Amino acid sequence: MSQPRPLALTEDDREDSLALPSNWRPRRAGAALSVFAVDAVAVLIFSALSGFVFLSPQSLSNIALDSSESVLLCIGVAFLLGAGELDISIGANVILSSVVGGKTMGAFESPLAASLAGAVVCVLCGAAVGACNALIVTRLRVTSFIATLASLGIVTGVAYVITNGYNIADVPLELQSDFGVAKLADVVPYPALIALAVAVGASFLLNRTRFGLQTLALGSSREAAVRAGVRVRAKLTTLFVLAGGCAGLSGFIDLGRYASTNISGHQTDALAAIAGAVIGGTNLFGGRISVWGAVFGALLAVILQDGLVVVGLAAFYQLIAVGIVLIIAVSLREFAGSGDDPTPLSGRLMNLLRGGAA
Amino acid sequence: MHPTNPTAHTDARSPAIVAHGIRKHYGHVEALRGASLSVGLGEIVALVGDNGAGKSTLMKVMCGAVAPDAGEVVLGGGLRVEAGRFNAADAGVGVVYQDLALAPHLSVLENIYLGHESLMPGRPRWLGLLDRRAMAGEAEAALRRLGIALPTVEVPVSLLSGGQRQAVAIARAVKWARSVVLLDEPTASLGTRQADIVVELIRNVARQGLGVLLISHDMDRLKRVADRIVVMRRGAVAAEFPAASVTLAQIVEAMLGGVSTVGAAA
Ligand SMILES: Nc1ncnc2c1ncn2[C@@H]1O[C@H](COP(=O)(O)OP(=O)(O)OP(=O)(O)O)[C@@H](O)[C@H]1O
Ligand SMILES: [Mg+2]
Repeated sequence: MSQPRPLALTEDDREDSLALPSNWRPRRAGAALSVFAVDAVAVLIFSALSGFVFLSPQSLSNIALDSSESVLLCIGVAFLLGAGELDISIGANVILSSVVGGKTMGAFESPLAASLAGAVVCVLCGAAVGACNALIVTRLRVTSFIATLASLGIVTGVAYVITNGYNIADVPLELQSDFGVAKLADVVPYPALIALAVAVGASFLLNRTRFGLQTLALGSSREAAVRAGVRVRAKLTTLFVLAGGCAGLSGFIDLGRYASTNISGHQTDALAAIAGAVIGGTNLFGGRISVWGAVFGALLAVILQDGLVVVGLAAFYQLIAVGIVLIIAVSLREFAGSGDDPTPLSGRLMNLLRGGAA
Repeated sequence: MHPTNPTAHTDARSPAIVAHGIRKHYGHVEALRGASLSVGLGEIVALVGDNGAGKSTLMKVMCGAVAPDAGEVVLGGGLRVEAGRFNAADAGVGVVYQDLALAPHLSVLENIYLGHESLMPGRPRWLGLLDRRAMAGEAEAALRRLGIALPTVEVPVSLLSGGQRQAVAIARAVKWARSVVLLDEPTASLGTRQADIVVELIRNVARQGLGVLLISHDMDRLKRVADRIVVMRRGAVAAEFPAASVTLAQIVEAMLGGVSTVGAAA
């Protein structure tokens, strides 16, 4: 086969030159790093304002514990967003999973057996809710926003019906003392370890496996993915099940931390998870996911919450602060480059500071 | 005046792909009304026609992206193309869609391999561990064979120019093609030189024994590269000509349905 001449690398083909935009770098940790930097700055500011109480191991370990549930939810939602889907039922799913898990625990004598069974049932229940969402989306062809808006109501309702509106407290106290509020080496809370393990696994899944690649393809161009032979229904089902599983795990952590369900809480969990994922650099409309960005985005909300309390402001201000951060983060991305531009936020911030249009 | 017998092509080549009696309507629009077409192994068939004549629809039916209302498509090996359970690349059919069907957020490498990823050897397949290094090497080689030199195959497609994207789509189609390549206006956003390279590439593909179906409005290049020119009009094949002897005027006349535009076209 004769070799054709190379395509357009000469001066006279300038408009079709194959040179890349000068600010392009291989996509990697960019978005996550910039959110991590914001986290670090926030911690330092609160520390300075609080006479460095906020920087104590005790306080940092509290942040880790407080963020363990939202980290799980952010990661699950990030994968769905990356695939161009949405799940606003995960907060309700946390409630239902903890209710079903809590009921299960009540049936066991030994605290260990109760805890293990509860963990398994929580995750399975969460995954089952995810599977139902997937069925509605893939088989009934209801868009995921509407599908999960409906299941948000249904799932919450089912949880209330099961409990009659009362919290379940059949949780072995050992689960709380030995897991929920316990710390490895007196520093790292066990729930945070679980969240960390899930993050490591999710990052691996995203960056190293066919599943991760096809997830991004689904969100980047559904049409392209279909034509390339990606099995859309199977992939979407897995994604909803994984997000549901994260919610279930989160429900189990909830039981462990409070030795009770919290059926009146978690109202804003789903939206907070979307906010965290998007602050972390995941594209709301698919095609881009940052697992560590989601982790740091979830952490940011907790840092703001705990930090505002430490400096003596009411925790309500956290809601305001997170909202403002969300607007700033998304707006920065839009201003500094198009939302589709995969250049890391950090790079675009630099460009902004240098005064150049990115 | 002109031959209007689509089945009269008496080429001795064995067929790479045959579409027979394809009908397809969208609402009230009859996009295809019994179109038939065959491409032989090693043959380059040009498909021309006015905008909306049904060329792209026919091509999508032939690669299984669109299910026809009637008619069938069969590959040379006897495999039937059935939308829904047929993946073009798996069956050795390379396709360049008119809209390219690339995922903008994914890199060149990821787009070329999407759906057919190379996995790490020696690891369980269910893990789906990507062998990125092997894919990068092969993707670079595939692009180089087409004479496309990208500094890296890791760049997201959204950052490429229209011509570069088209080159990536062509590279992908050729990479997975074992019997047929279907190209829908592959040179539409290419400069003169790049278009010539693509024409040369298409010749090479046919020389290797693959059938090529080429949709284009670029009559001059078509006449140079094609063996046969098939003219579609209003959802059916109106005429076909051996490329060597046909004149532009004859093609235009067939496209417009007998209205003589010889004066205008000449
Ligand atoms: N997805 C669709 N939905 C509705 N109508 C469609 C669709 N695809 C094609 N059509 C209609 O079918 C007819 C044939 O379209 P097609 O794209 O096959 O034409 P074409 O010959 O490829 O034209 P062009 O040269 O402009 O690409 C047109 O009238 C078009 O409007
Ligand atoms: Mg077309």
